[in-house]
Amino acid sequence: VFSFKSVFKTKIYNFELPPLMHLNAPSDNREVRHQKEEDVHQRIVVNEVNFVRKCISAESSQEDLWGKLICTNFKVSFILQDAPPKQKSHLSHLLLGEHDIPLTCLEQVVTVNDTRGKKKVLGSNQKLKFNPTELILYCKDLRILRFCFDEAGPESAKKVCLAIAHYSHPADLHLLFGFEYQGRRYHESKGTYGTVNGSTPRGGLRTPIFDRPSDWDREIKRTSASGWRVCSVNESFDISKSLPEYIVVPVSLADQDLKRYSIFFTDQRLPLWCWNHPNGSALVRMASISDPVQQRKIEQRVFTAITKSHPQRSDVFKSDLDKCLPNIQDIQSSFVKVRHICVIGERRCRDNHCKYSTSWCSVIRAFLKHSAEIVYCLDGKNASVILQEEEDRDLNCVVSSLVQLMLDPQYRSLTGFQSLVQKEWVMAGHRFLDRCNHLKKNDKEESPLFMLFLDCVWQMMNQYPAAFEFTETYLTVLSDSMWIPLFSTFLFNSPKQRAQHLIDFAKNKAIPAGEDQAVYFPPVWDWSQQFSTKDQTLFNNPMYVGKGAACVQNGEVKTFTRTKRNYSSSVRATPSSLRNGLKGGEETLTRRGSLLSELKPDFSPVKVESPSERFFRDLFSQPADQRGLLIPLLMPSHVALWKLYFLRWVPEACIPKGGPITAFHKLSQLVDEIEILQSQLRQYKGPSPGSTPLPSPGGPPVNQRRMYFKASPQNDPPTPPDFLTSSFPFTPMGNLCRRSIHGTPISKFLNGARIWLSTETLANDTV
Amino acid sequence: MEKQAGAAGAADCAGPNRKPWGSVTCGPVVAGDSLDSPTGSHVEWCKQLIAATISSQISGSVPPDIMNRDNKNLPGLRYGAQVRAFPNQVPLLPGETVQTTVKDVMYICPFSGLVSGTLTITDYKLYFSSVDRETPFILDVNLGAISRLETISVPTQGENTKGLELVCKDMRSPRFAYKTEESHPDVVDALAKHTFPLSHNLPLFAFLYKEQFPVDGWKVYDPVAEYRRQGLPNESWAISKMNSTYELCDTYPSILVIPTNIADEDIKRVALFRAKHRIPVLSWIHPESQATIVRCSQPLVGPSDRRCKEDERFLQIIMDANAQSHKLTIFDARQGSVAVTNKAKDGGYESESFYPNVEMNFLDIPNIHVMRESLRKMKDVVYPTIDEAHWHSAIDQTHWLEYIRLLLAGAAKVADKLESGKTSVVVHCSDGWDRTAQLTSLAMLMLDSYYRTLRGFQVLVEKEWISFGHKFAARVGHGDENHANSERSPLFIQFIDCVWQMTRQFPAAFEFNELFLITVLDHLYSCLFGTFLYNSEEERAAEEVQTKSVSLWSYINSQPEDFTNPFYVDYEHHVLYPLVSSRHLELWTSYYARWNPRMRPQVPVHQTLKELLFLRAELQRRVEELQKETSSHSLSSSSHSPSPTHTTGTPLHSAV
Repeated sequence: VFSFKSVFKTKIYNFELPPLMHLNAPSDNREVRHQKEEDVHQRIVVNEVNFVRKCISAESSQEDLWGKLICTNFKVSFILQDAPPKQKSHLSHLLLGEHDIPLTCLEQVVTVNDTRGKKKVLGSNQKLKFNPTELILYCKDLRILRFCFDEAGPESAKKVCLAIAHYSHPADLHLLFGFEYQGRRYHESKGTYGTVNGSTPRGGLRTPIFDRPSDWDREIKRTSASGWRVCSVNESFDISKSLPEYIVVPVSLADQDLKRYSIFFTDQRLPLWCWNHPNGSALVRMASISDPVQQRKIEQRVFTAITKSHPQRSDVFKSDLDKCLPNIQDIQSSFVKVRHICVIGERRCRDNHCKYSTSWCSVIRAFLKHSAEIVYCLDGKNASVILQEEEDRDLNCVVSSLVQLMLDPQYRSLTGFQSLVQKEWVMAGHRFLDRCNHLKKNDKEESPLFMLFLDCVWQMMNQYPAAFEFTETYLTVLSDSMWIPLFSTFLFNSPKQRAQHLIDFAKNKAIPAGEDQAVYFPPVWDWSQQFSTKDQTLFNNPMYVGKGAACVQNGEVKTFTRTKRNYSSSVRATPSSLRNGLKGGEETLTRRGSLLSELKPDFSPVKVESPSERFFRDLFSQPADQRGLLIPLLMPSHVALWKLYFLRWVPEACIPKGGPITAFHKLSQLVDEIEILQSQLRQYKGPSPGSTPLPSPGGPPVNQRRMYFKASPQNDPPTPPDFLTSSFPFTPMGNLCRRSIHGTPISKFLNGARIWLSTETLANDTV
Repeated sequence: MEKQAGAAGAADCAGPNRKPWGSVTCGPVVAGDSLDSPTGSHVEWCKQLIAATISSQISGSVPPDIMNRDNKNLPGLRYGAQVRAFPNQVPLLPGETVQTTVKDVMYICPFSGLVSGTLTITDYKLYFSSVDRETPFILDVNLGAISRLETISVPTQGENTKGLELVCKDMRSPRFAYKTEESHPDVVDALAKHTFPLSHNLPLFAFLYKEQFPVDGWKVYDPVAEYRRQGLPNESWAISKMNSTYELCDTYPSILVIPTNIADEDIKRVALFRAKHRIPVLSWIHPESQATIVRCSQPLVGPSDRRCKEDERFLQIIMDANAQSHKLTIFDARQGSVAVTNKAKDGGYESESFYPNVEMNFLDIPNIHVMRESLRKMKDVVYPTIDEAHWHSAIDQTHWLEYIRLLLAGAAKVADKLESGKTSVVVHCSDGWDRTAQLTSLAMLMLDSYYRTLRGFQVLVEKEWISFGHKFAARVGHGDENHANSERSPLFIQFIDCVWQMTRQFPAAFEFNELFLITVLDHLYSCLFGTFLYNSEEERAAEEVQTKSVSLWSYINSQPEDFTNPFYVDYEHHVLYPLVSSRHLELWTSYYARWNPRMRPQVPVHQTLKELLFLRAELQRRVEELQKETSSHSLSSSSHSPSPTHTTGTPLHSAV
């Protein structure tokens, strides 16, 4: 009988890693790829079992795949017996194969014995009293994988199942694979490249991390927040464990005041400056004050200081998010529901469908709506806003980052967006470790807040397709990265925890003191860790109208340059538009005779508008400036299901030759062509004509081109490639299919699903 | 301020090279050309919305109430539009005459309150304009879109004020209040007379309309040419003129495709056995497998299970015409139970025991009355106000999307049977002109990429709907005041909605755009064009529709750029199956809820594409200029290599 107790705790550190070369090798090359799998097999395999059947269709086993199921200390791998001809038609991860699942990505491990009608959800260090005939893995990225062991050795099958369950429940943060991997990666890169990394700041990373005063300083300057300063009272986390070491505070508050106030706030979290509007109003986030006696006094002082930092000494508006938004449990339960309908399939009962999908959509609407109201305060009322939440580490992250996305186009660029996440989530102390439940210790703490934020961003992107530099593929890949335990971004609960772990890590791995954390344990923002340069071009939105993008105005081709801030709303600037909108109506009402006044009580369904309603109505009555203030439309029909994220792994929800990607394809090719032309133009315009040889007509070198889909050679009809589906660049091929294309519901596999979701509706679904 | 900018931009556009987006027409048609105006305001408005991103023309001048389409009033904005003699005159179509004008009318706008202005009624439209507000306010409604006129009470207004509600077929119900005076007749009488001309012995406006278009839309559909495109006739199928005088079947077209080896006498017997004599005829043939889509009406089986040897043999011959399969699948659009109860009414369905090798499938689609009720509920949900809190459940309760799903699923089954099963199918419902037309046309759209082009789609509508006797006059009720007639039903709207659902799932596979679909639906009601008038080919021939009225396709095909999807790439030989699960179907809010300003559509992606196409053209021009310059500078001109983009064949949408 297999026993863990002695084996695993000691063994886990002994596993060797594949050499770095392999980890970073482009996987396009089949030879290398094959080699790599061999290495994986030989070196870090915990357990493996042969002759495993990966089930694809619930109806027949015709499409099933045969191969070897392997559990390593990083992932669950399935290696096909007969490797299919490698076709590069989708995003390929540098560290994970098509059938690989990182252990951190596992949500639930379910073993089933068909013949004895038994099933068990496996946790860490558990025993299994039956030989499993199948294994179902429910993944956090919404995949469901089902393996059958009918031809496999029962003992080794059992061992693999137990190993997978065990390793997906690490006892300690240190046991996450990232610590093993990054230590090795660091030393190998040192060995290979010497000190190359040290010479470029932060290993060439362009995204500010906000762990240094200079990052904050730059942000203060960029937003002209003259009433604010960088403060270092929390250096070495002296005051608060969950705040960053450097915070931005009103200039009128001295360090001593701050220290004095800090004790009254939950977790000693002082108010944290987020952003300044060009009109001077500031966005500030803050924890609550538990002591009711002190509350008023302290808050009053904070308000006064923020008012003093406002050039017009405007009022401060406080928004208590705990009182007006769904809490983290509500968010989690509505997410579970929407995941259920999307991944498990449709239920019989349409009412349920309606309730479920709208529950998630209404959460999204609530957050977007509230953020829009904050925008109104900052932009329309010219007032500073304090976002308050008990801990200031969950809902505040979502709202503050959404508000900034709506107001400041800088954050809609790729680097800007990453800096926003870094500032409002990572450094502000969002508990990624608990909310992602990486250690699977406390399910009650789990809540998909970051996912909620990404979905909100997608909603804005869906409505304003040219406003963001990045694509929905980027957002999806970012959400997937949460479940790959290799990046410092999503592993920790607070900046202090991160700092401590990384210092210990550096000591253990003999990394010289003073080496930059971003170099030896990089954040997710170094995308070359995961994807090839070519694949990273999938992140670029061809329609982006932000900085540097060329655009057409009045028939003239222009390059957009941001001469001044564009995010000041035009609504305020043009009172005439107000007259067009509402005031004109008012005049009509008063000028017209008695007929009107008497008609009004019966015929005027228009109620008196509040100023904020007027603000939004004026805003929406004009064409959206995708480079400026951006408020999403929030009627229920405007909030859509993020199909790429929720449905990409569901084979029966995949539209062959369809989906938005087919339009994206054409845009991408067109923009590529435009960029070639622009580069040719630059070449012509460079040195004086005649003195230089004619430029090659090819445009920029292939590896510098921004677009994923390249312009087709001339005169070629732009036929879309056959591999485009609504799931692109992901592929649901190889994932469990629950019904045939034409809708026969099959749910024999749902045994496990019932455990996973424990939703009573599934009972109705079994046919 | 914004308005000025808009107008100035428009003026620029009127220059010789730049046409505004709204009205790209063929060159010669300038004088008296009113290609925009026949569309009524709606197309203008759609075009403006679509154009919104490029030039910001829609900008501040469009007040929150979207119905206020003030740009119409700005002279010079619309290329080739009629110039009005006086600034406040109502724009008229050729042939249109003003019937009455009433001053001091209040429009009771559900979105922005009361507006006072002048109401003009012509024989084609109702036109309300107000100059009260800073931006002129215009509302116009094609009389054809009006379903009924309701008098509403205007409390505490004394004797001389009346209220009027126009309940429209296109999901809105504008309301007015006006004062009655002895000096002019009641506005309702004038309105009723021209809204329901057929009930007042007046002609439909389509017969008064005098527009000349450069393209003749009546030439779009030539049945023989269309069948030839499909490879017909062949050894199994013949093009028959048996029905040239509509004697065999008065609701069928004169030209039919029927199996070759069957005698005329037998066909006549089959006709007697099928409801309304609608015999099985070929709609479409698969180019490779020779499997066919055949349409007909229900067999008249009756309560005593009558049989008809000729009918049984007829279906056998249809099956034999396809060598690939020894089966024939019959799709009965109705619910199985309904098909059974139809036996009592002398109808029924094919019994598998009498028809060997036949497989019956019931698609469970409810009848026209259910559909009418569903759309009526939908109107309550989307107009005038939207209940945000209960939006999803309210939409669900209309079951509209459920019926869309049934239709698409049924059509996908038909298409899959042909494509994957290589089996011929027979489609019918009761009479074979409602659900049958929906199913065959949708299946053909999935199977044949030709029908996904702008022209091909027109052919599809002309063929499967118009020529095969979908009773447009009865279903729409053109010019008829009997609004409660139970024959009315939105079957064609459902079909267009299904097409729209497909365009959402395959954004690059259709040559036409959303504006095209909305335009088709608007003119389904407008009575401006002859295309959708009357119930059958026979009636249309008798009324000489083709000589006395204009085709909708004349209007569309005279300015195809506006109706073209810039993302279109030809998915030739690709069968496209839409996903029919409810999570992939969405409510077509830009049609059903378009009157609500808060439902303003999002920024359309295709506009960005148009901008980029323009940008590319501009860059190509510059690169070419520089290349010429360079080559003239260089001594040996032979070294000049042609630009890779020298002659781009891509037709740029000059509408940009």
